[in-house]
Amino acid sequence: MRKSNKYLATAAAALLAVLPSLASAEVTVLGWPGGPEEVALRAAAKLYNSNADVSEDNKVKLIFFSRDGFYDKLQADLAAGTDAFDANLLATYSIGRYAPYLKPVTLSDNAAEVFGDAVLKTMQFEGQQFGVPTDLSLHFLYYRTDLIQELLEDASQHDKYGDISEEYLGVRLSPKDPDNWSWQDFAANALYFTKSVNSDSPTRYGTVLQLKNLLFNMMVFHSLPRAYGADWMDADGNITVDSEAFREALGLFKILVDAGATPKDSFSYEYAEANAAFGAGQVAAMMQWNAAAADLMDAKKTPVTATVTATIAPPTGPEGRFTHVHGLGLGVNASGKNVAGAEAFVQWMSTSEAATTYALNGGAPGLSAEVVAGIASERPDLVPLGQFASNYGFVMTGGTSAKALSVYELQAKEFTGFLSGGQSLDEALAKTATGMAELLK
Amino acid sequence: MSPKTENRILATPIVLFLLVMLGFPAVLDILYSFSEVSFENLRSPTLNGGKNFIKVVNDPEFWAASWFSLKFGVATALSECILGLVLAVYLAPIIRKNNWMIAVLIMPMIIAPAMMGLMYRLVLHEFVGSLPHYLYLWLGDSPAFLSRENVFLTVFTIETLQWTPFAFLLIYMAYEAIPSEMREAASVDGTRPWRMFWFIEVPQMAPTLAVAFFIRFIDGFRVFDNIFVLTGAGAGGSTTSLSIYIYLSFFRSGDIGKALAASVILFCVAFVILFFAGRLLRRDRA
Repeated sequence: MRKSNKYLATAAAALLAVLPSLASAEVTVLGWPGGPEEVALRAAAKLYNSNADVSEDNKVKLIFFSRDGFYDKLQADLAAGTDAFDANLLATYSIGRYAPYLKPVTLSDNAAEVFGDAVLKTMQFEGQQFGVPTDLSLHFLYYRTDLIQELLEDASQHDKYGDISEEYLGVRLSPKDPDNWSWQDFAANALYFTKSVNSDSPTRYGTVLQLKNLLFNMMVFHSLPRAYGADWMDADGNITVDSEAFREALGLFKILVDAGATPKDSFSYEYAEANAAFGAGQVAAMMQWNAAAADLMDAKKTPVTATVTATIAPPTGPEGRFTHVHGLGLGVNASGKNVAGAEAFVQWMSTSEAATTYALNGGAPGLSAEVVAGIASERPDLVPLGQFASNYGFVMTGGTSAKALSVYELQAKEFTGFLSGGQSLDEALAKTATGMAELLK
Repeated sequence: MSPKTENRILATPIVLFLLVMLGFPAVLDILYSFSEVSFENLRSPTLNGGKNFIKVVNDPEFWAASWFSLKFGVATALSECILGLVLAVYLAPIIRKNNWMIAVLIMPMIIAPAMMGLMYRLVLHEFVGSLPHYLYLWLGDSPAFLSRENVFLTVFTIETLQWTPFAFLLIYMAYEAIPSEMREAASVDGTRPWRMFWFIEVPQMAPTLAVAFFIRFIDGFRVFDNIFVLTGAGAGGSTTSLSIYIYLSFFRSGDIGKALAASVILFCVAFVILFFAGRLLRRDRA
C-alpha cells in the first residue's frame, strides 16, 4: 500500500470510530414539520444548545418528517423500537396509541405555574405525564371586520339577509355581531357573502370549509355538532354518533356546500388551502385552527386581509359554545439512544424561559395568565387561548383512546362521502356508528 | 476453480441481497396476511387462517379501490400510449435534426410523482393557482377540478401529462429502428402514408407498444403518490386506489393482516396478468 493510501485509510478508520460516538452524543428530537411549530422549536432548541449548562453530549438536534402520514410513520417507528430519535411529537389524541413506547416524564418544578393544570393534562394518559405541552390547538372563528361592520351598519341589506336565511335555512335571521353568532348565524352570514347566492356579495364565498378526507378536518368540524350536544359515546360506552346533533351539523354543512358557500374544490382543502382562500380576500368568515392567527393577522404574510381580520371563539349552539381542544407536545422515546438527555430537554421545555421563547417564535403554547401577560404585546392571540380552552374546550368521549385517530379517519371518510353527494346521511351515520363500535369496543 | 463454481461465487452476493431485500419481506408479508396482527403485537402475531382474506374479499371498499385502480390503469396506459405514438411519429422528423428536444420532452418524468401532486395542488388552487386565475380572467369562471365529479378526470390528466414522455421515448426508439429500406420499398410500390403507418410501421412497433402499455398499466394500477398528495383518499373514498386502500388499512386502521392480505391478492393478480402478457409477447415475437 502506498504511503498516502495508508494515511487515508488511517484517517478513515479514525473517522469511522469517532462518528458513532458523535451520533449518540446528542439528543435527537422529532418535531412537527412545516409550520409555526417547527420555527418555534428551532428557536427553543437554539436557545437550549447555547446554554452553558448543556454539555456537548446533550445538544439538541432536530429532525422533521413530512406532515403527510406523520402519525402513521411515527407509529411504525415507535412500534419497531426505533432509536432514530430520543424525543418526539405527541398529540392529546395519540397519547393512548403511543404510550406503550414512551417513558413518562418529570417536568420542571414550576411547570404548573407556566402552563396551568388544565393544559398539562393534555399530555397525560392514565394519570401519568407523558410529555411537555408545546402548542395548544383549538379553533377560532376568523372573520372580516370590514365586511361584517358594513353589513351591520347597512340596514338596507338586512331584509336581503333575512330573505336568504329564510330561503336556505328556514328561519329568518338578522345580522349580528360575530361574538353573538349561533351556528345558524354563521351559516346565514356564509350564504349572504356568497356570490352565487347574493350577486352583490363583495366576496366570492361566505366561508371556506376544509372538507378533504382527512382526520384533522373532522376536528375542525366537531365544534359544530358539539354545540348541538354531540358526543362519540354515552356513559355506558354506547356509540352515539347517529344522533340528532350530528344530523343537524352535517345538514348545515350540506346546505353550505350545495349552495356554493364554500370554494368549489373544498373537498381537497385542508389547513393551508383554507388559509390561502381566506387570505386572498374572497371569504368572509371561517373556522380555523388558532395556529393560523400568526399568519392571517400578519400584514407581511397576508397583506390583503390581515388588518381587517379578527378572531373570536366558535359560534354557539343549543347546548352551548364549544371548541375542540388538543395539545401538541414532546415526549421521550423509551428506546432512544440518549433518554437522559431527552428527559433533560423536555424538562427544560416546561420552564418559563423555554415556553416564552417558543411563543415569541410563532408557537402557540397554552400559557397561564401570569406568563402570557409578559408577551401579550408581541402575541396578543395567545391571551384568549387559555381562556377559550378552559371555557369552551372539549374532548369527545373516547377522543384520547388508542383508536381515536382511526375514529377521526372513519368519520372523515363517511362524512365527506355524504357531503360530496356520494351517499345519504342515514348511510353515512350508520356506517360510522358500525365502524366506531368496532374501533372503540 | 471451474467456471460453474466461479459463477456461483460471483452470483452469491446478489442472490443474498435479493433474498434479504425481497425474500424476507415477501415471507413476512405472507405470514402476516394469515395472522391477527396490529402495531401492538407486531412481533408476536397469531395465525388466524384465511380470515384476513375473507375480510378483504367481503369488503366493498376493496372492490371499489380495485375498480378505481383498474379503470385508472387502463385509461392512463391507453392515453399515454396513443399520445406517445402520435408524438413519436409527428415529431420524428424534427427530432432527427434536433436531438436535444428529447431531453426537453422527457422532463416531466424526472419529477417525483409526489412532487407532481404537490405542484398541481398549488396550480389548481382556486385562489393561488395559475390555472384557475387565468380561467377566471378569461372566462369569468373556473371548474372545480378536484370535486367528486371531476377528480378522476383531473388525476387522469395529471398522470397522462407526466408519463406520456415515457411511452413516447420507447415508441420513438422503435419507430426510428424500423429499417428505412422497408419504407422506401413500400413507397416505390405506391403505398400511401396512412396505409404505410397502419400496415407497416404500427405492426413493426407492436411489441414495443405492448411493452409500453403493460409497463404504464402496472404503474397506473399501483398509483399512490400523486393522488394521495393531491386529494388523499378523496371525498368518501372516491380516489382510493388499491395502493391507497392497502396504506389506509395498514397505517390508519392498524389492520395489518387485512392490508397484507390485500397486498397478497394484488401480487397474485399482477403475477397472473404479467404471466399471460409475457406469453402473449413471446407468441407475437414467434
